[in-house]
Amino acid sequence: MRLAALDADAGAALRVIAYFDGLAENKAGLQAIVRGAAVLAGCPARLDDRSRRVHVRVDPAGRAAPDPSAADESWMHTPVVPDASATLWLERVGEPGPVEAMILERAAGAARAVLDRTRGRAPSEDPALVELIVDASASPEVRRQAATSMRLSETDRFRAAALPSGPQVFPAEAKPAMAGRTGIDLTAAPLDRPVSAAKPRVGIGPAVEPLDLPAPYAKARVGIGPAVAPLDLPASYASARIALRFAADGTAEDPGPMVVRHEDLGGLALLADLPESADVPDLRALEHATAAGPWVLSTLHAFAEATSLRAAATALRLHHSSFQDRITQAEHLLGWPIRDPHGRLRLQLALALRRLRRHPPA
Amino acid sequence: MTTTLPPPFDPELGAALAALADLIPPSLDGDLLTAMRSGSALALPTEEELRRGGSFQIEERTVPGLGDAPDITLLICTPTAPTGTLGCIYHTHGGGMVLGDRRLGVVEMLDWAEQFNLVVVSVEYRLAPETPHPGPIDDCYAGLLWTAEHADELGFDRSRMIVAGGSAGGGLAAALALRARDQNGPDLLGQMLIYPMLDDRNDTPSAHQMAGLGIWDRNANEFGWSALLGDSRGGPDVSPYAAPARATDLADLPPAFIDVGSAETFRDEDVAYASRIWQAGGRAELHVWPGGFHGFDGLAPTAQLSHDAREARVRWLNRLFNG
Repeated sequence: MRLAALDADAGAALRVIAYFDGLAENKAGLQAIVRGAAVLAGCPARLDDRSRRVHVRVDPAGRAAPDPSAADESWMHTPVVPDASATLWLERVGEPGPVEAMILERAAGAARAVLDRTRGRAPSEDPALVELIVDASASPEVRRQAATSMRLSETDRFRAAALPSGPQVFPAEAKPAMAGRTGIDLTAAPLDRPVSAAKPRVGIGPAVEPLDLPAPYAKARVGIGPAVAPLDLPASYASARIALRFAADGTAEDPGPMVVRHEDLGGLALLADLPESADVPDLRALEHATAAGPWVLSTLHAFAEATSLRAAATALRLHHSSFQDRITQAEHLLGWPIRDPHGRLRLQLALALRRLRRHPPA
Repeated sequence: MTTTLPPPFDPELGAALAALADLIPPSLDGDLLTAMRSGSALALPTEEELRRGGSFQIEERTVPGLGDAPDITLLICTPTAPTGTLGCIYHTHGGGMVLGDRRLGVVEMLDWAEQFNLVVVSVEYRLAPETPHPGPIDDCYAGLLWTAEHADELGFDRSRMIVAGGSAGGGLAAALALRARDQNGPDLLGQMLIYPMLDDRNDTPSAHQMAGLGIWDRNANEFGWSALLGDSRGGPDVSPYAAPARATDLADLPPAFIDVGSAETFRDEDVAYASRIWQAGGRAELHVWPGGFHGFDGLAPTAQLSHDAREARVRWLNRLFNG
């Protein structure tokens, strides 16, 4: 009673149907589906999916037998998905007989369900497609194709993100809560209660809920573009790349938020247009002041971001008076008063410029 | 007992069952037995297939049964061009104690014979219900004794002999190992028990879980055991040579290989047998194949799980014969 020993009659076709229905119901993978086709047909079978770079080939004994050479166009075959980017082959020349036709049809159907399922899980993860869809120099038609392959619906909104490693694309309504971020949240604590554990911050503006990012990027600097339709992702990505320059390393040498949304920058974004070689006296003054010791930068940064001096002092684990003393000294090194709103704005601008200088355009 | 749903079948194996559903009755009764014995439901190899283009010399010998029992036939397959000292697999076929003959299951034995230089001896034992216990095991034991005594004539080293069988044949092989230990029988290098049928009580959770499902369900199992034991089935006086699970002492047995599927009647009794061997300080290797039904590797040999199950057996044999 071997499955392979099916007679070429109507019963055989029914068994083929039952077999692939069974595989599909049991959520069998591509290997099992192609193996079924090969064993039932008695010849090697292969599945090639160009867009996902999938190649599965099985011999009629059921053993995996990948073959890098191209399929022979005269072999029996059927498309697996409507755009014909994936094809199932039986490596046998000629017109398919009734059983072979049934095998092709049913195996392709089962394979399509797998491809749809796995494509749906991580539509934006194919790096080649992501790079394509944010590329302003790629034609709209090509980017529309990429959007289809990535299953990005025209009616949904997406954000481009810029990381040092390259672009990412996320649904616009990604959930809050990131893990493993550094940075000090100075905005949320009431005056008379200490700030508890450091919370991640996003943006230079008001504290907003951070975005959910996949694990490999959780500790990277990220710039996030505005929510747009799929075809406008190049513009979102351009903004994301600007925002990335404002993202800090999150270290003592470069304190600040690691995730920055372009829409939160407001007018600050214009600073990115400044040529690298431009000489900015306040920036020179800041570099000069920070050379005096690491405490200078942390003091100035804490002060620049603080809603209250008490909160800032607590975040630095300093007594309120000690913090006041430090500000006085730092101010002196810097060369302009920073306690009034105008002086504080100058400081914030200088710190932003310093960060931009540390992260030049790629 | 409240029965839970059984573990799901492996995707490929479940699909194979669906495709062949009309060919495989999960249950068995008297009428079905007659039909199955006369039909070609079981895949039996021809002599041509056994010979493998000259790789094996095929012979049948008639040898005496135990006591007054009738003579029995042994199928003997000898490698014609061995590459080392020959050993021996003494094979007891499966079929629920009510079906099959000496050729059933021999094909996989021949694969091993080629790889490990083994003579395959497969015994034709009388079947139940026509022959109740102890007839079948007596026939098997008689054949084992004869084979060991004639090791020189058959050309193998008697210190390299194992017993092997699947399903009911696995139960018979386990019984042979017990009996050889107890009755000063031949020394066995090992016992290969492939999804063995060990327990006439037929009352384990897996037996209940699989009622009406898969291959050889609880009802078929009851039919087979009742055919062998009649009214004593499930009672207090069942011999361990009929139902090895009844043995109280599992110490000093040859190393055992036991495999079984997670979705078959025999799962729990096979796992228990291996556990009791270890508890007695013995050697055993156990594989429970996830989503495997009874006899899955025979029904769907090209499924990935079937490849893996066959490979595991070969690895054990390699350690046993070449270690």
